Amino acid sequence: MSMPLVVPERSAAHRGLQAAGIVALGALAVWASTSNQFVLGQLTVALLYATAIAGLNLATGYTGQLSIGHSAFFGLGAYTTGILVASHNWNPLVTLIPAALICFATGLLVGLPSLRIRGINLALVTLALAVAFPELVDRFPSFTGGQIGLDISVFQLLPPHWTGISVADRFQYYYWLSAGLLAIVLVLCATLTRSRAGLAMRAVRDRETAAAAMGVNLAWTKMATFGLSGAITGVAGGIFAIYLGSLSADSSFTLTLSITLITGLVIGGVATTLGPVIGGLAVYFVPYWTENLRQGEASELIFGVVLIALMFVMPEGLMGLAIRLSRRVLRIEPQPPARPDGRTGPPPPNGTDHPAARDSGPAAAPDHRQERNTA
Amino acid sequence: MEIFLDRLFDGISNGAIYAALALALVMVYRATGTINFAQGEMALFTTYLAWGLTTRNVPVWVALLAAAAAGFALGAVSERALVRPIEKRGLLATLIVLLGLFSVLNAADGLLWGRGNQSMPSLFPNTLQSYVSVFGARLYWANIGVWLLVAAVVGLMFALFNRTPLGLQMRATANNRESAALSGVPVGRILMLGWGLSAAIGAVAGVLFTPLTPDSLSLGEMFPLLIYASAAALFGGLDSPGGAVVAGLLLGVVEVLLPAYVPAVGGQLQEAIAFVAIVAVLLLRPQGLFGSREVERV
Repeated sequence: MSMPLVVPERSAAHRGLQAAGIVALGALAVWASTSNQFVLGQLTVALLYATAIAGLNLATGYTGQLSIGHSAFFGLGAYTTGILVASHNWNPLVTLIPAALICFATGLLVGLPSLRIRGINLALVTLALAVAFPELVDRFPSFTGGQIGLDISVFQLLPPHWTGISVADRFQYYYWLSAGLLAIVLVLCATLTRSRAGLAMRAVRDRETAAAAMGVNLAWTKMATFGLSGAITGVAGGIFAIYLGSLSADSSFTLTLSITLITGLVIGGVATTLGPVIGGLAVYFVPYWTENLRQGEASELIFGVVLIALMFVMPEGLMGLAIRLSRRVLRIEPQPPARPDGRTGPPPPNGTDHPAARDSGPAAAPDHRQERNTA
Repeated sequence: MEIFLDRLFDGISNGAIYAALALALVMVYRATGTINFAQGEMALFTTYLAWGLTTRNVPVWVALLAAAAAGFALGAVSERALVRPIEKRGLLATLIVLLGLFSVLNAADGLLWGRGNQSMPSLFPNTLQSYVSVFGARLYWANIGVWLLVAAVVGLMFALFNRTPLGLQMRATANNRESAALSGVPVGRILMLGWGLSAAIGAVAGVLFTPLTPDSLSLGEMFPLLIYASAAALFGGLDSPGGAVVAGLLLGVVEVLLPAYVPAVGGQLQEAIAFVAIVAVLLLRPQGLFGSREVERV
């Protein structure tokens, strides 16, 4: 058998491989859920980080808008849930909806400067967001609890009856809540980034001017991506509040968290679907292990050295490396998407199933969305 | 009036330090096109070094020179060994390497010099009596010293940029690395020089800033400073050394005066307000106050 094995995209074999991968991940999640409470708690936070990183990946990985302000979205989501549950007695799960909406709106607002400010300048603007968030929380203590923090009663955060999870097993509930959210977010991101909108996002990242010339609406693409990115990170923050039950902006939602998230994104693999999962687990567990190995500064030193070494050895991240290595064994050959009328060529404008940009069809096909760009 | 002047003097001192660090950031940005997130930790490392020397009875001025020299070496080596090989992998990879360096330097400080807060001896007379009276306000010699030394450093840098062949080569490299290389500029050495000088400026800033507050030499000292300096650099225009200095001074003064005279700001929102103001300015002028406009060739 010749290497690499070539499998056409969307063929039965490809679908089979995908299904096998999903089953394997599901089995892994079930196996992990048999851990003890302490490890379950750790996994819950790590998976929430992974979700937050998946959100960040949309803005930074796919659209090229470097953000070091995502700690603010995580915190905003957490505080939305926290305030609504603690002060207004909402059902915790329902609060995730306003958390998503508020973070989406904030993301749109933050996306606004990105229309004029790029690259490292934009990173510094998002830095402003990360720095401002804890200060704002401290400024309005009647609302947020300020520096003392915001406590939610444990009784409000127990698993609902319909889950059938007993109070003693509540860590199972938090774990599956975060695992479920992560699964939904991963599917959402995978679908989005493989769609026509995903193509537009990557075009904006790789060559903005050319993307605009092709009829990509730069303003909307950037703002909407930032909004969605913020919303995903915010919902992860909301579940973080449900799990933790006690919020303090000065300890949980500072710039350090933003740096953790961006580090996780790069370690895991920028612009990959599963990279955020690996990255989230890595940034949570690696410091924990090095801390066990050596205390205090030595652990920080090891972490820094590992970070630098990783960038030198595999700048594409763990997932990027895995993808590159797996290509030696198995190659998924992109196929032009099928058109409803049976002809080949680019899909009609409403097509949502478009392979990566290397698809050679005339990309600038007539398109009703080809209005003049607004940038 | 006295209180206003007191505050103004303090603000100018802080602003001078921000200006120096912002200038260092701008020099790195012009060389490499990135923000050196490890700039503050480089400054902290060299400040600790200077403090370590003074505990062994080395005169402060000698310690300052040693710190600047160590900073130069640290910056130049970081550029050559860490940044240049990773630069072509993109902004994100460079950023992560610099964050790694941040972590390593901070941890090294803790391992070498301990976690406790230390007091750095001042370069200038630093007692409660060593001041001159200006309209009833006390202008301490320590403040004057900071102003003069920062002014000297900034002046030297501008003379270097604008009056020497070396400065011309640095500007050429910042402007267009390829063309500079084709014209015979040793681009690699110029980049190392840029990073080295910027870390040396950081070292001077650290040694000057730390004695302004007693017991302030600690592992977390430089990070807020880096944030302010980045804000100043961004405000002035990331590629404009003059802009960085003006914006740094402005930020230092506003940071002290605003909470004192606008009660709504209070003590906790300073950084947030500084940043919001800067973002607002950037929306109108994306290139900052004095930066050059980004032009894209199609």
